[in-house]
Amino acid sequence: MCGLEIPTDDHVIVGMDSPDDAGVYRISDELAIIQTVDFFTPIVDDPYQFGQIAAANALSDVYAMGGVPKTAMNLVGFPLKQMDISILRQIMQGGLDKLKEADVVLVGGHSVEDQELKYGLSVTGFVHPDRVLTKKNIQVGDCLVLTKPLGTGVINTAIKGGVASAEVIERVTRQMAALNRDAAEMMKQFSVHACTDITGFGLLGHLAEMVVGSGCSLRLNADTIPILPGAIEYAAMGLLPAGAFKNREFRESMVGFSSSVNPLLRDLLFDPQTSGGLLICLDRADAKQLIGELHAKDIGEAAIIGDVLPAAPEKIRVQ
Amino acid sequence: MTEIDARGLACPAPVLKAKTAIETQRLNAVRVVVDNAAAQQNVQRFLETQGYESTLETDSDGYVVVGRRDATVRAEPQAGPVTEAGQIKIMVMIATDRFGYGDDTLGSKLMVNFIRTLNEMGPDLWRLVFINNGVKLTVEGSEVLAELKQLQEHGLQILVCGTCLTHFNLLEHKQVGETTNMLDIVTAMQLADKVINL
Repeated sequence: MCGLEIPTDDHVIVGMDSPDDAGVYRISDELAIIQTVDFFTPIVDDPYQFGQIAAANALSDVYAMGGVPKTAMNLVGFPLKQMDISILRQIMQGGLDKLKEADVVLVGGHSVEDQELKYGLSVTGFVHPDRVLTKKNIQVGDCLVLTKPLGTGVINTAIKGGVASAEVIERVTRQMAALNRDAAEMMKQFSVHACTDITGFGLLGHLAEMVVGSGCSLRLNADTIPILPGAIEYAAMGLLPAGAFKNREFRESMVGFSSSVNPLLRDLLFDPQTSGGLLICLDRADAKQLIGELHAKDIGEAAIIGDVLPAAPEKIRVQ
Repeated sequence: MTEIDARGLACPAPVLKAKTAIETQRLNAVRVVVDNAAAQQNVQRFLETQGYESTLETDSDGYVVVGRRDATVRAEPQAGPVTEAGQIKIMVMIATDRFGYGDDTLGSKLMVNFIRTLNEMGPDLWRLVFINNGVKLTVEGSEVLAELKQLQEHGLQILVCGTCLTHFNLLEHKQVGETTNMLDIVTAMQLADKVINL
């Protein structure tokens, strides 16, 4: 989009000039809409599960902005000549069931014939214009709460390569299909300063976006960062996706690692995530209470992974 | 030196190509040519976990990763289990729910007895793998569940074939062990000092 003129107006709260998880547009003093779209090629073999994951992933951006998703539309690219149409039906069923779970209605969609299967959704949500959560506004003294373990990128590559164990596949599929709704609802009880969901840029890529221009720096505690079973092992086998290397190349100048941090873990912090967890910034006392409530609600791997410090030459320190 | 041309391939294909080559041909020296930095780093990492020393050359074709390992040194993944000096690794593979041929009732009784006595192997017992009819010993109603759970609690890794559980419709009834695939089983066979088949 570089160099192109982007139309805008006074109602745009979050738009192209400050890239975030979704766009936000003010309708009245009480209501703004959140709009987002996300689609991709299959990451797991089971069509129903793929539909569930695609929907959970698309809905996540609305949760990360502090909103409630309301309506959705399907986006489909399908290779009619190579694939049985019943596969598409199973994918849609997975997506629909996930929308039902999230109390979101499907109001339409569009499909095209494509050489490669693609599925995703465009989602619209509501939020009060004063309660929009963006990536900006982190504050010194905040803690960083991550609600899902990392490692979906490397595990999905292992699945593609046919080397992932059945148990690891089951676990990662369940995690990717899990909605961020409960975590989002719980965080609204607290004064949250900033929030995003961890997706394609990896944990460090998304943290870099949060810290740029904030006048702060971040400190991560490597031991507390939750990692999916199998992820370290597959990273050691050389199964990191190309995206992890791209993310690292783009952001590594902002990050310093203590020598004690395992090199494999360093790479996993750049691993692109599908339907990753929320990254929530809030006061230390609030963060501790939020963690307690997330654990009680079965979001058992949520953890405080670091905190926000005053500006430093090293924007992000992992120790 | 064997050369693997993995140019034009995206991750994880270059690693899988290298893996197949070194495993089927038992290579002690290999050159892997790739055309992108991600594949280069992944291939280097893979070779290093397989006991190779890797060096990187760049030429006009792209990146060339050269891996060499000492033929006398066993390849063993770095992340592999640590065993005490003098201890050997025994893998017991159980492909049946009965011990021996002949009388089935006797066979079942002998199998229960066998599993109960297995811990006499001590710390040398390294992996217990269940395939085919053997997986029935790991599901609800098996007479040796308590014994297997105890072995597992003491740190023994129990692997249960996922394809077999699915075949018998028992995937949800498994009570002990880790569901596994053929790659894990083959790797375990290769790493074990002794494999006992039942």
